[in-house]
Amino acid sequence: MAIQNQPDRHEPSYTEGEARSLDTGEREYMLDVRTQDMELNMGPQHPATHGVMRILIRADGELCTGAQPHLGYLHRCAEKIGESVEWLQYLPYTDRYDYLAAMNNNLGYSMAVEKVMGLEIPRRALMLRTICAELNRIGSHLIAYGTYGLDLGAFTPFLYAFREREWMMALFEKICGARLTYSYIRIGGVFNDAPPGWLEEVMRFCDVFDVKWQEYVDLLMNNHLFVGRTADVGVIPKEMAIDFGLSGPMVRGSGIDWDIRRDMPYELYGEICADGAFEVPLGTGAKGTLGDCWDRFYVRVMEMRESIKIVRWCLANIEPGPVLADIPKTLRVPPGEAYVAIENPRGELGHYVVSDGSKVAVRCRVRGPSFSNISVTEALLPGTLVADAVAIIGSTDIVVGETDR
Amino acid sequence: MSSTLHRPTHNHPTVRPLTARAYVKNVVDSMMTTLKGMRITGKYLLQKPITVQYPDERLPIPNRYRGIHYLEQEKCIECLACARACPIDCIEMDAIRHGKELEWISFTLDYQKCMFCELCVYPCPKDCIHMGTEYAFVSFDRSEFKHDLLSYKGMAREAKTRMIEAEAKKKAKAEAKAAKEAAKAAESGEVAVEEPPKQPAEEPAEEPAEEPADEPAAEDDEASE
Amino acid sequence: MLTLTLPMIGKLAITDVATTVAAAAPAAGTNQLRTFLTGVKPEFVPAWAVPITAVLLAVAVAMGIVSIVAAFGTLAERKVSGHIQCRNGPMRAGWHGILQPLADGVKLMLKEDMIPIGADKILFLLSPSLVLGSLLGAMAVFPLAPDFYFADIDLGIFAILALTSTTTIGVIMAGWSSNSKWSLYGAMREAAQVVAYEIPLGISLLVPLIVCGTFNLIEVSDQQAGWFGMGWYIFRSPMMIPAFVLFFIAILAETKRAPFDLPEAESELVAGFLTEYSGIRWSFFFMEEYAAMFLFSAVGAFFFFGGFESPLTWGARAIFAETGAPLSPGGTPIMTTLGGQIALTLAAALGICVKASFGLFLMMWIRWTLPRIRIDQVMTMGYKYLTPLSLLCVLVTGVHEALIWPSLLEPWWPDFLQP
Repeated sequence: MAIQNQPDRHEPSYTEGEARSLDTGEREYMLDVRTQDMELNMGPQHPATHGVMRILIRADGELCTGAQPHLGYLHRCAEKIGESVEWLQYLPYTDRYDYLAAMNNNLGYSMAVEKVMGLEIPRRALMLRTICAELNRIGSHLIAYGTYGLDLGAFTPFLYAFREREWMMALFEKICGARLTYSYIRIGGVFNDAPPGWLEEVMRFCDVFDVKWQEYVDLLMNNHLFVGRTADVGVIPKEMAIDFGLSGPMVRGSGIDWDIRRDMPYELYGEICADGAFEVPLGTGAKGTLGDCWDRFYVRVMEMRESIKIVRWCLANIEPGPVLADIPKTLRVPPGEAYVAIENPRGELGHYVVSDGSKVAVRCRVRGPSFSNISVTEALLPGTLVADAVAIIGSTDIVVGETDR
Repeated sequence: MSSTLHRPTHNHPTVRPLTARAYVKNVVDSMMTTLKGMRITGKYLLQKPITVQYPDERLPIPNRYRGIHYLEQEKCIECLACARACPIDCIEMDAIRHGKELEWISFTLDYQKCMFCELCVYPCPKDCIHMGTEYAFVSFDRSEFKHDLLSYKGMAREAKTRMIEAEAKKKAKAEAKAAKEAAKAAESGEVAVEEPPKQPAEEPAEEPAEEPADEPAAEDDEASE
Repeated sequence: MLTLTLPMIGKLAITDVATTVAAAAPAAGTNQLRTFLTGVKPEFVPAWAVPITAVLLAVAVAMGIVSIVAAFGTLAERKVSGHIQCRNGPMRAGWHGILQPLADGVKLMLKEDMIPIGADKILFLLSPSLVLGSLLGAMAVFPLAPDFYFADIDLGIFAILALTSTTTIGVIMAGWSSNSKWSLYGAMREAAQVVAYEIPLGISLLVPLIVCGTFNLIEVSDQQAGWFGMGWYIFRSPMMIPAFVLFFIAILAETKRAPFDLPEAESELVAGFLTEYSGIRWSFFFMEEYAAMFLFSAVGAFFFFGGFESPLTWGARAIFAETGAPLSPGGTPIMTTLGGQIALTLAAALGICVKASFGLFLMMWIRWTLPRIRIDQVMTMGYKYLTPLSLLCVLVTGVHEALIWPSLLEPWWPDFLQP
């Protein structure tokens, strides 16, 4: 039976539960052998859900006919806490929603508060912030790379990715003392200056990483079996990507040229971009269809190298100086509000803060990229195999801490 | 969907025609990329592992590591700055003030709550609370995670000596004053009423003690002798 | 689907086994043991005890081989995977974790043996035994040395293929009786996969079978003794290497090894048909997996890499064989002295074990390199790639053997190299 692509796959049909349309007589000729659809409860404890998420899959044998993600198992009231603790005290909580890219969360929150305050950040602090955010992007993409391999049954890439991530975490351990929840980038700059020798070690890390990166590509990304599992699977057309509010590697995998670092530059990224130090990798459909799982994976792997370029640029241009703006010990933010979107490894991470001039925020809203990105699974899963469901969920690279917050 | 297919098709992978060329390419590609991957894994198979055997050897821990807290108790003035800075209120402290000296009762940190954010360290005016490099904190009992940072309870010996000296000084001063006043009164012919010396006012100690006491401080009545 | 598949496979496989065993019975190789036992039997032991003792002894030895292979297979897997992943693997139990299998065994025996509430209890309890039992049956056909075997049957390789494919029934039973959806998925995948890969496995084995003309493993090995013990079939014709690659891929699928570990795909099906098993029953499945890997690797060694034959056996023969000793069908001198027999047995056992272990290592290496493939790709690979390619191999080998090989029979190497 030849299965043809529908020419325009972004027709509204994807928003409906596909399973229901099956009951309306489209396979009457199969009724004699028809069996009952099975409800498969993937999660909350399942190796492929990357945390505690639950996806209810309706399956006809190996074929998914419907899927429904259930969120909220990791809900920790992060936004409400933001309204009850002081400005600086909320910083450790930002570490904890996207715990794989805590530096980026720190950065987003700090930038939002700084925007309300109208603070001027010292240049060295900006450099350190950029280095840390990009190193953390590498670390996060390494996890995405490794766990995607795990989802597809390849164990070794995961350990290789963790080997480099371990070094990255050791670097962070040296600069701020923590390995996962850094709380390093703070309102007004960063907490500490880099210890002596740290920047040189980052340089060494970049040099080694370039070599290892080629191994990642050879071992997993270009492996024929891996390509077979990911190419043409979970295709998100451009319009669909926009409709679902996807961001980050998810839209770039669909070929949409959108990167907040370049298109809405913040901090030093405008300068870096003007220098041509990094480019935005896009999915091309090289191995299958544009916007498939392989393209998203490809974008992540290529972004690691681009991040290395940004770090190198910062290392070349960093100069001594203060790392913290002149701010009072007890932070009082003038009345006002601000929304700041930054490019998290997973997409657009937005922080919206409202201040009434007191020590505590009135509203602290987070727009998490994982939350939007996971919503697409419901539309993508029907019609795929159960094994593909795992591949698609893995390719969204969600962090459940962030979807639930 | 007007097709007669029995499944939703828009998500299903494109089935590409299997041409002879694609067939050969698939066979060759899968063999070559597999061999390439096996070369990489085989290379690491022959290399030395990068891990260490944990309890026997440990990786170095940087100075800035945010581990279990430690307190320089003699410096601490119980100003509660760290407790106020803590986002989850896991620091509690209690001490009795004797003049400038502190008699410690407790300084607990609830490690069930603590998220090792180091926000308690920065506001300290005396730079006396730090995060150490110790990270293994294991217990069979939850109550033990409410960890007391004090190295001794009560007062340090030096603090006690200083307090006795200060009190003696004050007493002497007061007595001298009283004697003076008595002399004055005798001169003026009036009878002076002797007042007891006042308790010293509560104010932070200016200088920290040099050394911590090795043994727990003695009882209060012993000190007052 | 299950109602269709289970009886079908069951019927097929069981008829296979029945015919094979029936064919094998007259040539049962415990005869030697029986003769030996009769010789040493004290007066008061009744005669009927001899065959029973022989069978029990044979089972004990087979079980011992399976246990040792499984135990050190798991250890080797953990060490190989560890070192591939820049780790150490087990290091605590004994020197470099050498006692880890023992610790694992104790742990598994002491673990709680759980049976899910909704499980079909009889099938649930029966399936691990069935899986391991059918593999033990296959082990009986596997000779460890030319003079050390339980059953020297003429249909040796047939018996192995038939008996190992019965393990599938056990797996399907396990999956169905567990009353878990993940287990059911695993079982169905196993059924589909094994049916698909039996075909290329058998056909790719036809390639060396055309050359050797016998199903008896010992005879197959004997035929590869030439050329300093290196007259292996893999060097014999150009189609042998692709045939071996196809055979190797097929045995990966047969033994449920990555990239074909779909029945127990951890990231998709939690643990597939093993999901609800724990403790010693779970370890039965594991023992089966490693023993099957060893057995299939050994089969590969027999048919492509000379079986017992290696320079070691050649050396043993050169040293111990007496002049004028009778020749075996393959043209090698038969050992008549005890020392010669012992030396040859040791050399042969070492040869086959090393070769099979290398196959095991190769399977581990592949497992820790490749991602898993999807069930439709497994089917595609089995039916569209392996089966036609192995048929092609058979065709070319047939032509080669009929037309080309006879012209090469004259030795082209100089006389002093003649063994």
